[in-house]
Amino acid sequence: MATEHSRFEFDPGFVSDRLRVAWYAFLGAILLVGGYATWLRITQGMASTNLTSTTPWGAWVAFYIYFVGLSAGAFLVSTLANVFGVEAMHRIDRDALFAAIVSMAVALLFVWTDLGRMDRMYHPFVWRQFTSALSWEVHAYVAYIGVLVTELYFSMRYDLARVAERGSGLRARLAALLTLGRRATTEASRTTDRTWLTRAGVVGIPLAIFMVHGGTGVLFAVSKARPYWNSGLFPVIFIVSAVLSGTALVMLLYVLRTKLFDDEPVDRDLLDQLAKLLAAFVVVDVALTAIEALIAIVSFHPHVVETWQIIAFGEMSWSFWWFMVGFGWVFPLVLLSKREWRRTPWLMALAGLSVVIGIVAVRFNIVVPPQIRPVMEGLPHGSYFPSAVEWATSAGMIAVGLLLYTIGAELLPLTPLDGGDH
Amino acid sequence: MSGASDDRLPGVPDAGAADPDAMVDAEAADPREELSKTDHDTDLGIAMAEDAKRVSRGELSAEEYWERYDEAAEREFGDAYREAPNPSIESGDQTIADETADSLGCSVGSMDSVACELSADGDATDATGDGADGDERWGMVIDVQKCVGCDSCTVACKAENRTPPGVSYNVVMEEEHGDFPEVTRTNVPRPCMQCENPPCVQVCPVSATYKMDNGVVNVDYDRCIGCRYCMIACPYGARYFDFGENYDDEVDEAGEVTSPEYGVDRGKREGDESPVGNVRKCSFCTHRLERGEEPACVETCVGDARNMGDLNDPDSEVSEMADSSRAFQLKESEGTDPNVYYLK
Repeated sequence: MATEHSRFEFDPGFVSDRLRVAWYAFLGAILLVGGYATWLRITQGMASTNLTSTTPWGAWVAFYIYFVGLSAGAFLVSTLANVFGVEAMHRIDRDALFAAIVSMAVALLFVWTDLGRMDRMYHPFVWRQFTSALSWEVHAYVAYIGVLVTELYFSMRYDLARVAERGSGLRARLAALLTLGRRATTEASRTTDRTWLTRAGVVGIPLAIFMVHGGTGVLFAVSKARPYWNSGLFPVIFIVSAVLSGTALVMLLYVLRTKLFDDEPVDRDLLDQLAKLLAAFVVVDVALTAIEALIAIVSFHPHVVETWQIIAFGEMSWSFWWFMVGFGWVFPLVLLSKREWRRTPWLMALAGLSVVIGIVAVRFNIVVPPQIRPVMEGLPHGSYFPSAVEWATSAGMIAVGLLLYTIGAELLPLTPLDGGDH
Repeated sequence: MSGASDDRLPGVPDAGAADPDAMVDAEAADPREELSKTDHDTDLGIAMAEDAKRVSRGELSAEEYWERYDEAAEREFGDAYREAPNPSIESGDQTIADETADSLGCSVGSMDSVACELSADGDATDATGDGADGDERWGMVIDVQKCVGCDSCTVACKAENRTPPGVSYNVVMEEEHGDFPEVTRTNVPRPCMQCENPPCVQVCPVSATYKMDNGVVNVDYDRCIGCRYCMIACPYGARYFDFGENYDDEVDEAGEVTSPEYGVDRGKREGDESPVGNVRKCSFCTHRLERGEEPACVETCVGDARNMGDLNDPDSEVSEMADSSRAFQLKESEGTDPNVYYLK
């Protein structure tokens, strides 16, 4: 019981003040640039992008589906602990949930920025279209964010109450506020929390898989005019790559936070488990993508074949070979191949980062190539690379996400106060 | 005009620097001679015409004019005067005082009201005629054999609909087949297909684009959020995003005049107001159809390749053409069932 006391020296956040200052300065600089670019985007309208009527969807849509996927993936990892009772995963479930919430916020920022009429972002809640996947998606996102917040609340409330009771200062006051008045720290209250945590998770799993990310895949798959997307396997690959990126993100955050915030040794068994999971998802993702490509190419459908040619040999093929195949699949698989490497924190952080970056290319390669070849012979071919405004606004929105996450991680008990073995 | 020879533009023949006013006078008919051809009073006619000129010069008020001639005109023309509309009365811009108007013998109503009655009568008696009677399904038939690929439809469309740079409701897709000297060329004009099963309508998250009873797929620029999903869904590439560009560098005040697309007059093109930030497309020139005119591309086509009409009427020219063995639709396998047909 010697550690009983130390448990309530609740002080999450950066161990090194120097690192904290450097990190916030870095984010601040990106936010300034991103803010200026956002101002340009608002004043100049969509003319500030490199989009055209041939290629109407670009970087913002790619990042939007990327962050929706990241969120769905991170959430599903959290359910391993909250719904399926994988005890070892309890250490990371809140972190995963919080990352999922932040990812969703960033995704919605991207989709908002992408609207031709940003001032009408509320219209989908006023007018609807029963047959529109996008109309359904908007509502699914709201419901999903509701589930995520509910999950995080029930997962964290017990520790929030303990911090509010025994801590002091800003964190304690914030914790008291976030308990929403349920301040009991009894075992009974904890059991209630866990019951509701499981219930919300049971609702959340199909919502995340079929509606949120599967639905985002459906959004593309229903476009019969774009045969490359128009396949039944497409939404499934969407979900798999989402889970892949989410697992990679959670693994990366786990290593970084344990090292930089908690200053604790990384749990190597947990790391090994996450790494094996990640390797399995990479293999499934590669296999399904290969099946999809095989079916498409053997069909000899000119649009699909040409789209694959654009992906593999076009002017942007470097993003496919280096980022999608290299960083997304091959490099992480190599790192995940040896037991010893899987138990080495910095290598696993690198593997996670590699996948997280690689999946960005996956998203770009989903969105852009089918819009290069025109829908009819005789119409102009497209060509797209994001403009400086598109890159800078994207960096800014990602920085908003990193800032939200860092502030949350500095203030909230995202790591269970009793080490996760509850 | 000094008549100095240096004033002449090169290549323009010297017409003799005649005073155009004199030319008009020379052409004008002698009023007495013209009026004597009718059964009515020549002196009254001349007096009314002279005083009417005075009214337009401001030397005589309209009220005085009508008070002076009301009785004489009624005596001369009888019922024809009483029943004919007087443009000074009860029109949108009545030009004489209400009191005077009430005192006149010709107060049957305004030009507008008479015009409305006329068209209502016309519909009743002419139900099988060409006039729009409200239950059409507009369709277009384009004869690919007649199309010479001159692109005047594209130009007429831009002029009619005042579309900004990068937005072209109609394009002509040109394809060359074969090797020299055995070369053929196919020109396929592409407006919006106004599909019976429009994929763009299916995907719009806010129902801003929808099918109208007359077959035209409408876009509500006040509701559209600019997500561009419809552009992704359209198998014909017929939809364009309005990036807010304009032709100000080419033409001064290029945005002063806009087209009342889908029957909504939005005034001049300004700043970031809709349709900037919206998705746009061909409306079959709804504003022209509503006043009984063909779309600009149909009217302008030099080869008479484009035809417009009612596909609901089995006897219409377009229905017969669409039923012919030469007829086909673009991308029939998509299941969109376009209302634009082509003749092979």
